[in-house]
Amino acid sequence: MFKFLSLRRPINMLIIANIIAFGLLYFYKKPYDKLVLVEGLAVTALICVSYFLIIKKNMGDEYLFLVVAMLASLGVLMIYRLDQELGFKQIMWLVAGIVLFFLSFYFYTKIKFLEKLMLYYFAASILLFIATLIIGSNINGSTNWIRIAGYSFQPSELIKILFVMTIACFFKNSEQFIFKTKTLNLKWKLNNKEFKNKIAFFLIVYSYIGFLVLQKEWGTALLLFLIFFMILYAFEDDIKLLLLNGAAAVSGALVGCFFVYHIKIRVAMWLNPWADAAGKGYQITQSLFAIGAGGFFGSGIGMGKPNLIPEVKTDFIFSAICEETGIFGGIAVILLYFILVYRGFKITLYTKDLFKKLVALGITLMFGFQTFIIIGGVIKLIPLTGITLPFISYGGSSLTSGFIALGILQALSKESYLGEEVIENAAE
Amino acid sequence: MFDILSSLLKYIFITIIYLFIFGVIRLIYLDISSASKQKFVIKKNTSYLKLINIRESLDFKVEETYSLGKGVDIGRSGKNSIVIKDPYMSSKHASFLFKDGKYFIHDSGSTNGTFINGKEVKKTPQPLKDGDKIRIGQIDFLFVAGG
Amino acid sequence: MQRNNKIIHLLIVMSVIFFSLMAYLTYIQLFTSKKTETSSYNRRQWLKEDDTKRGEIYDRNGVILAKSSKVKGKWERNYPYGSLYSHIIGYNSEIYGRSLIEEKFNKYLLNINELSSVIGLNGNLLNSKKVGNNIYLTIDNNLQKLASDLMGSKNGAIVVMNPKTGGILAMVSKPGFDPNNQALVNKWKELVDSEDSPFLPRATQGLYAPGSTFKIAVTASALENGMDGLTFDDKGVVTIDGKVFSNSKKKAYGRVNLEKALTVSSNVAFSQIGVKLGENNIKNIASKIGMGQVIPFDLPVSKSVFPYGSMGKTDMAAVAIGQGKMMVTPLHMAMIASSIANNGIMMKPIMVSRIVNAGGKEIKKWGPEELRNVMPADIATKVKNMMLKVVSNGTGKSAAINGINVAGKTGTAENEVVGKEHAWFVGFAPAENPQVAVAVIVEYSGSSGGSVSAPIAGRLMEAYLRGSRR
Repeated sequence: MFKFLSLRRPINMLIIANIIAFGLLYFYKKPYDKLVLVEGLAVTALICVSYFLIIKKNMGDEYLFLVVAMLASLGVLMIYRLDQELGFKQIMWLVAGIVLFFLSFYFYTKIKFLEKLMLYYFAASILLFIATLIIGSNINGSTNWIRIAGYSFQPSELIKILFVMTIACFFKNSEQFIFKTKTLNLKWKLNNKEFKNKIAFFLIVYSYIGFLVLQKEWGTALLLFLIFFMILYAFEDDIKLLLLNGAAAVSGALVGCFFVYHIKIRVAMWLNPWADAAGKGYQITQSLFAIGAGGFFGSGIGMGKPNLIPEVKTDFIFSAICEETGIFGGIAVILLYFILVYRGFKITLYTKDLFKKLVALGITLMFGFQTFIIIGGVIKLIPLTGITLPFISYGGSSLTSGFIALGILQALSKESYLGEEVIENAAE
Repeated sequence: MFDILSSLLKYIFITIIYLFIFGVIRLIYLDISSASKQKFVIKKNTSYLKLINIRESLDFKVEETYSLGKGVDIGRSGKNSIVIKDPYMSSKHASFLFKDGKYFIHDSGSTNGTFINGKEVKKTPQPLKDGDKIRIGQIDFLFVAGG
Repeated sequence: MQRNNKIIHLLIVMSVIFFSLMAYLTYIQLFTSKKTETSSYNRRQWLKEDDTKRGEIYDRNGVILAKSSKVKGKWERNYPYGSLYSHIIGYNSEIYGRSLIEEKFNKYLLNINELSSVIGLNGNLLNSKKVGNNIYLTIDNNLQKLASDLMGSKNGAIVVMNPKTGGILAMVSKPGFDPNNQALVNKWKELVDSEDSPFLPRATQGLYAPGSTFKIAVTASALENGMDGLTFDDKGVVTIDGKVFSNSKKKAYGRVNLEKALTVSSNVAFSQIGVKLGENNIKNIASKIGMGQVIPFDLPVSKSVFPYGSMGKTDMAAVAIGQGKMMVTPLHMAMIASSIANNGIMMKPIMVSRIVNAGGKEIKKWGPEELRNVMPADIATKVKNMMLKVVSNGTGKSAAINGINVAGKTGTAENEVVGKEHAWFVGFAPAENPQVAVAVIVEYSGSSGGSVSAPIAGRLMEAYLRGSRR
């Protein structure tokens, strides 16, 4: 009994939080809909079962899933409160996400040749990019959706994972790449093979970013660059190359700021959204109004007016959380992401294999920077670029690809733990 | 009705989320602090106890391994050589003795008892062999004989 | 391992950016949320108002002057007296915003708790019906109506106040406008374009030359400087530094002392008194009555203007007869008259006396407050006695009330239209125990204060005194 009720057990807190949240949602709108309670119970039960499965089956780090489950619950709560129908869909996506989490865990542990597929990852990404450009539909000014059988799918969510894998492959094993570059018949006048490789690698990285810029997905482009640059910092010993990439990025950003209309506006609205609060600065000012209205403890779930913010269910969901649970709620969300990132770094540090280390680091950086870019954007710390808040924002592509990445991280955590044991046994 | 409920529950809700965060950080901390202590290498030929439970499932501090040396006492009180704050443990729970090159265990009058491979041990010392499963309070140890 | 060291650097970078998120979030909440909350682009405040019943506004006797009622599921503001309170209560419109009391006391009327951003209660728990607080004014509705009727279709302002407490009993500015939402929508453009500036609250923000009413302040200064016994030979006209100062219709009064000079409002005598007082004394009395200083009030008040650096003799003479570059508001003039009635003490003017919540509990109250000491009590008594003469046998005869001793002073303020002067009267009654003080200005009347403004003041004081004795 004592054990079960203990306030120190995070999983119990998660259960209580979910009970409170779905209990509230039940009373939110008349007529009271019992379905809300059933769905809430189902989600909570699914989370508990998955959590105990992770522990019982020794699937490695238990905090990753716990923290993400809390974030996803918060997301479902907010989306349900904003739009009941979408809330139901989000629950379905969450279930799908958890299933994909286990599948991705399973496949990642089973398949051993993932580090040799660099060009396949790249090719798949390019295919997805081209498909988006050709048959993509235009939603909110960026061409980044593919419609298949009534479902909208955002390829860039999947491309992020492929990008991380591509980078990891390069650093792990550049030989496979040498061979491939020869077949690609790139004629470099430089003699240094390794250097040629690197140049080709940079071309690959920048082609990713270039495609994203073509699709006007500034947020994802920025995210991929940050991941690339950080990994380059940690794994590239030639400081000149690092500086070169940094300089390229800075000059690219400057050109964008002055000559690209979209970026110019975003920067102007970041510096002073009040200049056109009713027009181009509408989103960001409405977001600031919502955060301001929330105060420290928020208006209470269902008591604020977050529906005034455009795109509140996706990009601006953090503002809605701040309005209804206050900045204490907002800071709690940031702390949860920070724990996730911290665990990711721990796994990275404990992993010995270079490829796995890079994948772990890439995914961790992806979660971390994506959170920073969108939260920073909606609170006007940095210019706003549309990107989803991992695990919280509404959207199947975002949620499922987040869980796929998490599954990979979970698999890596198990291996990093196994690594520890091996050392221990050796000491005996 | 909903207004009042929501206004009241928001404080509780936020508190719960912070308790969750605190709980996770606390467990991570326990994890790290015990991991760093674990660094001492168990010498060859020494016998020791190895924790079978998953450490994260216990909400008190417990090491992965305990060296037995020339015999140890185990219990909740600080006077014991192995102190574990398990609420199911008695203040002085059990003792390990080293006699004639063999380890023995006996119960020190605990409330919840001491078990070897599921059989309860009384005050009479019982000899231990490699691979025995010892249950004390909520904790399961594996006895690993040195040599 | 060097790789791991570099990865730890990345962890530090991550920590820094996450910390900056939390710090910036806290910063915008602490320092910019106040600004965003009241931004006109923030639709939340109107949404909040939509479901909050805005508090009512009452006169001193509990007559409703503004109330909210539900029309098609939305709260709408209603002003039963139309334009009567347009320059006191103002308006509350989703289109045009808010003004005056509606603006300044908005948070009370909507019951917005100042601590709400910290505690986050929004008052929802305490009364889930969301009802604002009610405001009681010091205004007497009957007196206000009478004042408005007496002013009729003329432009100008009337301030009636209690000289001992500073409570405003009536305050009329004409022209006014109907602040009810539909009327505002229909007439907005016309009102904005009108040359009569109907949106100007003349009583508090209209600036006029005080004319001869300023002589009461100059008299006080003269008495303080021992000029009791001074006499002047009034030939109807006097030339000071080449500039001619003349009485009304150039009438000569012969030998006049201070009392006689005030009674007949002799410009000849007062221009010379001004010169005799000198720059320092004139500036001194101007500062003591509060010229150029902020008047704390529940409504916005313009500062009276006294734009003199160093004064020449003609400046001194012009100020002493209330002309020149000096400007006052009618409210300020009423306060100056009140300070003479109140033994030289000027009281802070009050419009809102208390705020009561929906449950009838008083949550805020304002009482009498001394603003400044204008003159010693004995000087005030002497000036008062002279002002009695003004009404009993001087220029202010038409302010007289049968059986009540009225003290007063008339004035004629020059303006840009020659022959169309503004007519002033300031006064109080009963002289032995003043209960009511009045300032009246009728714009472009073309006649003297004694004939246009004094009768209005007399009628108002009589109505108030007889009414309050009833």
